[in-house]
Amino acid sequence: MKTTLSILALAAACAMPNIASAETLRIAFASAPRSIDPYPFGGTPTASLKEHVFESLVAADDSPLLATGWEWTDPTTLEVSLRSDIAFHNGEPFTARDVVYSACRMMYLIDGRRNLLTSSMGPIEDIVAVDDHTVRFEMSSPYPMWVQKMKFLSILSASGGDVPEGPIQYDNEGDCGITSYPTLAEFESGEASIGTGPYEFVRFDKSGEADLVRNDNYWGETPEWDAVEIRTIGNAGARLAGLLADDFDLIENPTTEDLPGLTANDELTYTAVPSWRSIFLVLDVNPEGANGVVAADGSAPLADQRVRQAMSMAINREAIADRLFGGEATVANQFAPSYRAGAPELPALEYNPERAVELLAEAGYPEGFAIDFYAPSDRYANGARVAQAVTQYLSRVGITVNLKTQPWSVFAGQRKDGELGVFLYGWGHPQGPAQMISFAFASRDKDLGLGSSNYSNYQNDAFDAAMRAWAVETDEAAATEYVGEAMSIVMEHMPGIPLYYQHTIWAHRADLTVVGRQDERTSAMTVSRQ
Amino acid sequence: MLNFILKRLAQSGILVLVMSALVFVGMYVVSDPIAVLAGEDFTEEDRRVLAQELGVDKPLIVQYVNFLGNVAKGDFGTSFVYNRPVLDLILERLPATLEVAFMAMFIGLVIGIPLGVYSGLNQKKPTTKAISFMTTVGYSIPNFWQGVLLIMLFAVWLQWLPASGRGDTTEIFGVGWSLFNLDGLSHILLPAMNLAIYKICLQTRLARSGTQEVMYQDYMTFARAKGIGRDRLIRRHLVRNILIPIVTITGLQIGSLIAFATVTETVFSWPGIGKLLLDSIHNSDRPVVVAYLILITLMFVSINFIVDVLYALLDPRIRYT
Repeated sequence: MKTTLSILALAAACAMPNIASAETLRIAFASAPRSIDPYPFGGTPTASLKEHVFESLVAADDSPLLATGWEWTDPTTLEVSLRSDIAFHNGEPFTARDVVYSACRMMYLIDGRRNLLTSSMGPIEDIVAVDDHTVRFEMSSPYPMWVQKMKFLSILSASGGDVPEGPIQYDNEGDCGITSYPTLAEFESGEASIGTGPYEFVRFDKSGEADLVRNDNYWGETPEWDAVEIRTIGNAGARLAGLLADDFDLIENPTTEDLPGLTANDELTYTAVPSWRSIFLVLDVNPEGANGVVAADGSAPLADQRVRQAMSMAINREAIADRLFGGEATVANQFAPSYRAGAPELPALEYNPERAVELLAEAGYPEGFAIDFYAPSDRYANGARVAQAVTQYLSRVGITVNLKTQPWSVFAGQRKDGELGVFLYGWGHPQGPAQMISFAFASRDKDLGLGSSNYSNYQNDAFDAAMRAWAVETDEAAATEYVGEAMSIVMEHMPGIPLYYQHTIWAHRADLTVVGRQDERTSAMTVSRQ
Repeated sequence: MLNFILKRLAQSGILVLVMSALVFVGMYVVSDPIAVLAGEDFTEEDRRVLAQELGVDKPLIVQYVNFLGNVAKGDFGTSFVYNRPVLDLILERLPATLEVAFMAMFIGLVIGIPLGVYSGLNQKKPTTKAISFMTTVGYSIPNFWQGVLLIMLFAVWLQWLPASGRGDTTEIFGVGWSLFNLDGLSHILLPAMNLAIYKICLQTRLARSGTQEVMYQDYMTFARAKGIGRDRLIRRHLVRNILIPIVTITGLQIGSLIAFATVTETVFSWPGIGKLLLDSIHNSDRPVVVAYLILITLMFVSINFIVDVLYALLDPRIRYT
């Protein structure tokens, strides 16, 4: 049998020509993109894939992409001018009409369901193609965030079958006088996957496989690769084995343990880039008390600012970054990454367990108190281990910590129901440095979209005022001022405790250069041969 | 026999119903699809609309009754995550799992039974001792670790076989199969071996103990005395008689291979239903999980039923009345 096996294997190996030709880039994703249809699904893998084929008006790093620039003509009107030298994969020129059409598809119900990105459209009321290369967004209330949100609006070609001639009249139902839109199936068969991106669609499979080929007429920098093959391998060990076996040129997210091995291997290496994802604790500061937080005298310890500062001082962030991440994490000093454009400059957070003990005593808890600490076990890199480390640091200053790690699907539901008094969380900050604090710490304001996930029950007038001003400020410099003000206040009061900023890591062949992206997305455009 | 079949069917119906209720309630209690699906920037209004569209805003009992009504019409629901009919999703993934499961079972039987019979017949030989040692080792190494070892050996060091994925498929009856072309075959070998190692050990042991028992039966002595040749003795009288426990176990094992090849599918990124189940539990995609487990229950019930019928065919002494 052994010989039979080897013969079979040999035959198989011979039948397969070595596909590692220099012009094809073979990438292994860590989780599967859900579709090539750019609209119905969120999530990093889906976005990573779609960006090869579809582009938006604004690039991930907030710079203009298909737009040349934009201007707020008044607080509720944004005029965007478009590049005039761009053609879709099918040769049709890109115009303002395509923008309106894409927004209509965004809002359109597919099989009776809205797509999961629709909420990005916020108070947009009308979208007008002013001329071929100018488009105007009109809103019912000021929505400066739209500049960031335009990243979600992947541009499709309006040249397909059922779009009537002439201008398209936008409406919030996505009807727009268009009787039928391309379906998910038509995107996945490739019929409708026509964008302006650097790569053209060849094949997509639900198991997370996609094949792409170079767009020879790409308007930007010429794509490096003739073809790109994307596969998905969820298991980190198997993914690394695929790289070692030369099945792939580049893989996502090797584990921290694998990094020394990659460094020792001459054929392989890795690239790590500080990402925009910050990891932090959220504390329920409700003076009435918080779930799972118990003090001997029945008071609410987390409502006391000194207690929260003590908790922050008890945690050795340097050690977490060095020991748990092999140095591939950056110590945090605020909720947004300090290197995210628009984030204020703030001092480093002190590690001082002696002072922490004093602060706890001053606050009236010399014997400490008890907390239930919740963390998702399968969400963040090394998340469960970080939670254990935090548990130990807090225990050392006298706080009794009962750590509860749970699968994300369970954790997310309990968090939404406000059942978690202290929990570990992460935020990707795709839309600037202020969005997370505006959701997590501002008082609830439905119209401005503030405070929708304020599970900390933090309330501060000065902070709220800054966030409200930020939410409607279309002037970038002024908005940055408000962000700085709000961040300083919330860092002083600490309704949450920032820990570190995650790094995104790619393992790859040593003869490739990878310029990793900060939004954690994997793109063939960032990979080149040396 | 008819009576037996009818009774079996009624039992199965109740079993499936209880199963569906358990899974439905379990998924409802444990996880919240809205919390998982909704983006961070969803407003409360967005969440409410989403809950309405998914039908999870209604009380549990209403949701369950609606679900049963739809199942009666053959509609298992629509995936929360993929927004496609659940049955399509499962059927799409099923061939991949089926072929790797049957391939593994096939390898297990073809290698396991001869090894077992050989060991049973030659108890004193050193090769038998070696076989016995190997089966103990094969039993003891955890499945996922075996998978990683196989990848290290055949994909990384020897570079004979690809480490993961399904490779090219050949379309037969509109369904893609890996078994019928070389690239696909090279992809299926490692995951199939990973699943098969345990089966080989199991079948070897079953066949060996069966052989040891049967060899000393009177009818074997008699057959030998009659002058029946060794080959015929083994094929006709020995193997046939050791098959009953093997068929039982094989039946149950096929079920578990199909239903719970999850670990292997994860290690080798084999796009089968085990991986779908895992992803769906992770994403709180309740319709997929419920439909999947109902189908799996049905499958186990059917397999047990077939095994019972096979008994009767293999052993004339068994009669169902």
